[in-house]
Amino acid sequence: MLPENLTAVVARNETWTGESATEPYEAGWAKEAIVFVRALKDPAGSLPKARIEISADGMHWCAEGSVFELPAKKDAVVFQRIAHFGNFLRVAASLQDGSEITVLVTFHLKA
Amino acid sequence: MTQLDDLRRAIRESDPQLSRFDPLPRIICLDDFDRGMCGWTQLVGNYEDTLDAMLPGYAQHSHAMLSTLPNWDFGSHGGVDGSYALKIATRARKGAQNVAIKRLTFRKAGPIRLEAYFTFKPEATELALSETDIRSFGFLYDLQIGDMSGPGDRVMPHLRFLNAQDGQHIQKWQFKRRTTPIKPIGSAGKTITHYHLAPSDWEDLPGGEQRLCYNEIPTKVNWHYLRFDFDLAAMQATRFQVNDRVFAMDGFDCIRIPAMKNLWCMLNLAFFAETDTDKRAFAYLDSVCLSGDF
Repeated sequence: MLPENLTAVVARNETWTGESATEPYEAGWAKEAIVFVRALKDPAGSLPKARIEISADGMHWCAEGSVFELPAKKDAVVFQRIAHFGNFLRVAASLQDGSEITVLVTFHLKA
Repeated sequence: MTQLDDLRRAIRESDPQLSRFDPLPRIICLDDFDRGMCGWTQLVGNYEDTLDAMLPGYAQHSHAMLSTLPNWDFGSHGGVDGSYALKIATRARKGAQNVAIKRLTFRKAGPIRLEAYFTFKPEATELALSETDIRSFGFLYDLQIGDMSGPGDRVMPHLRFLNAQDGQHIQKWQFKRRTTPIKPIGSAGKTITHYHLAPSDWEDLPGGEQRLCYNEIPTKVNWHYLRFDFDLAAMQATRFQVNDRVFAMDGFDCIRIPAMKNLWCMLNLAFFAETDTDKRAFAYLDSVCLSGDF
């Protein structure tokens, strides 16, 4: 059987303001992931970099070290490659007052 | 019992993976999540032109996970006979729901049987038993007659275990006959939507009170057996069992709405979780067996 390969839509049409993150996603079976973030609407204000966070239990989070620009305009897409992330995975961003972005975030996971 | 039935039973009972199920003659699918997602996916709501058209009940849904049931205090729990289970997680908001779905069609309108090993638990954010934090765990079919076999309906049998509501530990099975009003989506006149998992219109299954094994701290779980028999010819439930209890289905009925133009022979099955507090609810499926008599 081919190794597991999953596209998981973890945030769909969600508008991020302030401290924002995707829901905890458990993927300890996966050796690698690519995260895509697409802006579904034109963002407002200045955008921070997004960061990858990992967790042992889905409740307590650590910055994994990967940071990447959020998409600057509607339909722009960015991605981040990740490997060796243990179990829980999420994308987080800290937006300033007045900034917002509506995102589609997908995880592409491979065993 | 014919000789073929005896032979089939002997073969199945010698296979540990099948022996814990009691399927009808034809196995439509045997989904053990140690093998991956097995065709279970996210229930996305209907939309046209913009995702903003999606009803909020569906917009909150996210993708199920392959989980080892990891716990902060004792590590991975694992499944009935392997490392993985399918995990359906709600958001951490009172009333939040999430659904995992498998989409099939049927080839004979006859008896089908759904069997599963399931459990549920809230996210262990507190050192407290938390037994009233999950509102419900449930499942449903979304069915429609064949295109030449009408007149008939789109039929949606729903059952949920109402575990708790507003802090009261209720523990009973419920069903529903009504969905929300059907609402057009977009401008092309091709798509509609309704929210069949709305919190309204649940009715008690007569004799449906059941105390399940919850265990003694917020992280330990025990697996439960579920079996639901349904006749696609009569579009009626015939039997429902959870662990050692078999429930009378005389008082049960389904949501019945007019047949829709793109859903002939539809056989969708779905499981869902619902939280009663601002804490994530987790429903887990170790394995699911769908079988039919054809």
